[in-house]
Amino acid sequence: MALIKDQQLSHNHAATPEIRFADWLNEGSLAGDKVLANGADDLASLLASASQLSMIAIEFETFADGRGYSMARMLRREGYDGEIRAVGDVAMDRVDFMHRVGFNAFELRNDQDAAQVLSKIGEVTVHFQPSADGKGPAYMV
Amino acid sequence: MYAYNQFDQTLVDQRVEQYRDQTRRYLAGQIPEDEFRVLRLMNGLYIQRLAPMLRVAIPYGLMKSDQLRALSQISRTYDKGYGHFTTRQNMQFNWPTLESVPDILADLAKVQMHAIQTSGSCIRNTTTDPFAGVSADEIEDTRPWCELIRQWSTLHPEFAYLPRKFKIAVSGSSSDRAASQVHDIGLHLYRNDAGEMGFEVLVGGGLGRTPVIGKTVRKFLEPQELLTYLDAVLRVYNLNGRRDNKYKARIKILVNAIGIDAFGAMVEAEWQLTKGKELRLPATEIERVKGFFKAPDYLPAVQASSDLEPVFNEYPQFAKWHKQNTRDHKQAGYRIVIVALKNQLQAPGDVNHQQMDGIAALADEFSFSELRSTHDQNLVLADVAQRDLFALWLKLQDLGMARANVGTLTDMINCPGLDFCSLANAETLILSRQVNETFDDMDYLYDLGEIQLKISGCINACGHHHVGHIGILGVEKGGKQVYQFTLGGSASNDASLGKTLGRSIEQDQVVVVIGHILDVYVELRQTDETFLETIRRVGFAPFKERVYGTHQRSAA
Repeated sequence: MALIKDQQLSHNHAATPEIRFADWLNEGSLAGDKVLANGADDLASLLASASQLSMIAIEFETFADGRGYSMARMLRREGYDGEIRAVGDVAMDRVDFMHRVGFNAFELRNDQDAAQVLSKIGEVTVHFQPSADGKGPAYMV
Repeated sequence: MYAYNQFDQTLVDQRVEQYRDQTRRYLAGQIPEDEFRVLRLMNGLYIQRLAPMLRVAIPYGLMKSDQLRALSQISRTYDKGYGHFTTRQNMQFNWPTLESVPDILADLAKVQMHAIQTSGSCIRNTTTDPFAGVSADEIEDTRPWCELIRQWSTLHPEFAYLPRKFKIAVSGSSSDRAASQVHDIGLHLYRNDAGEMGFEVLVGGGLGRTPVIGKTVRKFLEPQELLTYLDAVLRVYNLNGRRDNKYKARIKILVNAIGIDAFGAMVEAEWQLTKGKELRLPATEIERVKGFFKAPDYLPAVQASSDLEPVFNEYPQFAKWHKQNTRDHKQAGYRIVIVALKNQLQAPGDVNHQQMDGIAALADEFSFSELRSTHDQNLVLADVAQRDLFALWLKLQDLGMARANVGTLTDMINCPGLDFCSLANAETLILSRQVNETFDDMDYLYDLGEIQLKISGCINACGHHHVGHIGILGVEKGGKQVYQFTLGGSASNDASLGKTLGRSIEQDQVVVVIGHILDVYVELRQTDETFLETIRRVGFAPFKERVYGTHQRSAA
């Protein structure tokens, strides 16, 4: 599966963690510093644990599950600066929004063309909301 | 009204190209059906029974005459020469092709319009009082706040995949003309005891399968914190709303499940983290947006006014229209004019292209080139000088739009029903035709006074039947279309949900039953008592008795 990270096609990157956040909580740091989370996880614990994690992969079991957007937004708001990787049903028509809420890595669905996906990040160049990249409406800048 | 700057225009133009590419890829087989469905819905495109349907956003119902002319042109070029105004103050086109939609969107963008978020599980068009800024009973103009909400909610990256659709309504008058108590969020702009302006925030209202009246989650919200607070409500909903069952996914279900106090506490906790921060509205930004909604250059009252009594005497029809279809204006010498889209020949809310061009010209001539759409599917010319009313009425007659029935039984709300909609279980347009044919005596309608008849063709309740004084819900039973009556609903200050009268009625009996209900009202009403007041006083028994007779009692 192709991976886009920091707006480039990545050829050399850590694998998406298999350990789920709930299991990681039980096992502690012995289980590494990368976890797989999704909308069903306890967000307060995830936010509290974020400083111990270098990568949080947020899984979109279906593209319609929008909880991951708020999770990423809240992680960035709390100052998390590790990798937030979108995994699962990740396709070009959503990466721009994902990028804006704070995802910086995208593990693409198999049918996705990485070059085409890259062109979709920043497709709409003006925004009415503050977002992870600091861009926002004129009055907020 | 608000005018796009380069920023807004760029956003809308880029969105058109984004959607053009999505359509191209879909037609090339590169986007799966279920995924494109969500993408097209976020751009207002449904696939209906006979053709696609495109819903164009009219933010809080406000339009320039040029925009209405553009809609007229679109209806000629891409559709069958007419459009339909909806209960969200938007316009629907019933016959565009899927392939032509990117071009329609490009045409819309040229006049600062779009179809962004007119459907889908995202924040929909914010609605408000169609008399905002002009009504005599207004506390504060809601339009600048609606515009601020429009901007904040447009292409919001975090709230594009909510559990379900999300609707916000704003009211700023002593009478609620925005149905704010039956919205996901209802905002009431008012002045508190200390004389400060702020919002009362209601949450969890809505119609559909589970009708609920909204509950107050915050008594007073400082206006500058409007967006931080909305952001907190949306985030709590996005994270906690049910996603396992689309019929249980609206915020009202979440609020009812955990209780308004627990919900409010979650919002409060989230809000503490964002309040006063980046989304807090600077006073300069509020002033900038308010600047777009300054009063037009009204004539001095002496010039605008006119003694209409002699004209009323000479033209009794004009007098009736004036009484029924115009409202008090806060500016001396001016009236608010409601252009009823409820005639005998067209479906409620429908306008053809000649009428659109005609009304646009009237807006230019008589109302500062602006007009509004209303949630009860009419249009409004908000700033008409009294001295122009007669000339306006004559021209409306030429367009077939001077029917003096606003607020009467035939000023009904009607979803398109089975004639167009793929969700519908029953026809609705046939009912509005029957009602118009049966109840065509205007003096009888005037004598009945205000009656809101609201008709939905399925349980999704686009026709707002739960809040009709008389509500009718079409259902399918054993292959037949039958209709359930509810009585006593209201979407105004005294908001209430109608209760079911009894068993369903067959299609050809619907107008007969309406007639029975009206007869009971006329017999039982006390002096000056409205239909709704009578129902609330006497209860359902006399109505049931007349409609169902002994059969109902033996069956029950």
